[in-house]
Amino acid sequence: MRPRDFEVLEHPADIGFRAFAGTLPELFARSALAMLSIAADPAAALPKQQYPLAVESGDRESLLVDWLNEVLYWFDGKLIAFRDFRVTQFRDTAIEAVGMGEPRDPLRHRARLIVKAVTYHQLKIERRGGLWVAEVYLDI
Amino acid sequence: MLTDVMVYASEALMVQIRKDLSLEQAMNVATLPGIVGSSLAMPDIHQGYGFPIGGVAAMDCDGGVVSPGGVGFDINCGVRLVRTTLEEAAVRPRLRDLIDQVFRDVPCGTGGSGFVKIGPRDLDRVLVEGARWMVKNGFGEQRDADFSEAGGALEGADPAAVSDRARERGLPQLGTLGSGNHFLEVQYVEEVHDETAARAYGIFPGQVVVLIHSGSRGLGHQVCTDYVKVMNQSMAKHHISLPDRQLACGPIRSEEGERYLAAMCAAANFAWANRQAILHFLRGAFQRIFGAAARLDLVYDVCHNIAKRERYEVEGRRREVLVHRKGATRAFPAGHREIPADYRAVGQPVFIPGSMGTASWVLAGAEGAMRETFGSVCHGAGRLLSRTAARKGRNAREEQHKLEERGILVRSESRDGILEELPEAYKNVDEVIEVVHNAGLARKVARLRPMGVIKG
Repeated sequence: MRPRDFEVLEHPADIGFRAFAGTLPELFARSALAMLSIAADPAAALPKQQYPLAVESGDRESLLVDWLNEVLYWFDGKLIAFRDFRVTQFRDTAIEAVGMGEPRDPLRHRARLIVKAVTYHQLKIERRGGLWVAEVYLDI
Repeated sequence: MLTDVMVYASEALMVQIRKDLSLEQAMNVATLPGIVGSSLAMPDIHQGYGFPIGGVAAMDCDGGVVSPGGVGFDINCGVRLVRTTLEEAAVRPRLRDLIDQVFRDVPCGTGGSGFVKIGPRDLDRVLVEGARWMVKNGFGEQRDADFSEAGGALEGADPAAVSDRARERGLPQLGTLGSGNHFLEVQYVEEVHDETAARAYGIFPGQVVVLIHSGSRGLGHQVCTDYVKVMNQSMAKHHISLPDRQLACGPIRSEEGERYLAAMCAAANFAWANRQAILHFLRGAFQRIFGAAARLDLVYDVCHNIAKRERYEVEGRRREVLVHRKGATRAFPAGHREIPADYRAVGQPVFIPGSMGTASWVLAGAEGAMRETFGSVCHGAGRLLSRTAARKGRNAREEQHKLEERGILVRSESRDGILEELPEAYKNVDEVIEVVHNAGLARKVARLRPMGVIKG
């Protein structure tokens, strides 16, 4: 990811990120990578396999939280290290994507920080200066 | 329902508390349907998500709500204190060997799974029996379960309420410490303030003790995630609207509420099993270095992220309430029947970790907590700096060296982890303890100082 794709947000007890993108599908993909950059190092993952991901939710904000929690489940539960995401279908209440990555190797894909979950705390998805911006806080 | 916020703090702590959103969060908690008494803020209160950390809220069991965020993602994150038969003078010359051994023997879980290998059917037993299952299966002694809050397992756990995802995340992580502010710290008893209580707890000046801080790992995190989603989807059905989505809740007497509580109990039991496994590995590490002379006994184990049905006198009548403790510790006074018989005369032990490099405290629950705070006190020092701010301008190797010069060895799986948990990142734990002691919520028993820290 380029430096301007996301920045880290401070929180007294936890951590967050602010992701930027030109479109909403891209924003969701970048947000997933932002979260994984806090949790580990996506660049260490090789895009050997493709993993289908699909989430439905009640509204756009919930969709972002549920999408990120889905990616976190694949990372922490199914133990997949993702390099990148390609969103194939998107509307405010549903997202389908392909995650490119590989099974986590304990040595190559160590967790940088254990991310417990994605929160609704001060969650924002909005347009700013011609870009879509998402602000999300993670429980660590 | 709207009630007030009651904050327990000194003037100096209030200056720090006002700098973040914790009081606004405590005010939002005060709007939860069925809240009984005040929305309470302990002196270590700091900004969380939804509920503040260091927040306590009791709900009417008939008309009130349960909020997964009021327990936290790390269900039954908690602390256990282990006493040893060793003294500081005997351990100090072998401290580096000990810390290195503990670092090898107690996995943090950041690089892979732990050493406890069980199958899905055994996991179901763990979710019901908690620490007791671990003891039955060779990971400890019966006394370990007896000297834990709730006997190391809450009744009412239902494995069927725990999702497959939660199991998938939790199974390989059983017996691992975690990272962030989780740690295992070898300490010595620097001073005793209450000799009667200290004697009852089996601790004395100069004694080496170990504090373990860990929770329900990925299993608990997923349970909370799952049920925040469930509650968010069902709130309209129950005509609940809230100022903060992270407060998502459901009536205690609803299908969603009951299922959450059953899953929460299961996750809590997983956390007790987790801490029991860590104690087992710790015993092995001590014995490898000090031989049979090193006997380790559990003093007690307390949770600080939980919701429990308890009975209190409220406005002149006894009633059952569901007490949410989000970064707050139960502190029952002398005489309470839930305290082990050995401690009943002096009160329930409470453990308050400070920060790496400062001090931790042993307290005894007091009557004031039963009267004023639904049997609750603080859980730590409370963060002052964000992780980013704590790292700014600091070098991990230098900070580690500074701690070593003070006689404190640190082994961490990450350099950032050392910086983010430095003393400067936290409020003054002694000041937090003074508030709790002077308010009559719990009594000072002993002050503990670090010798070595393991963290993820």
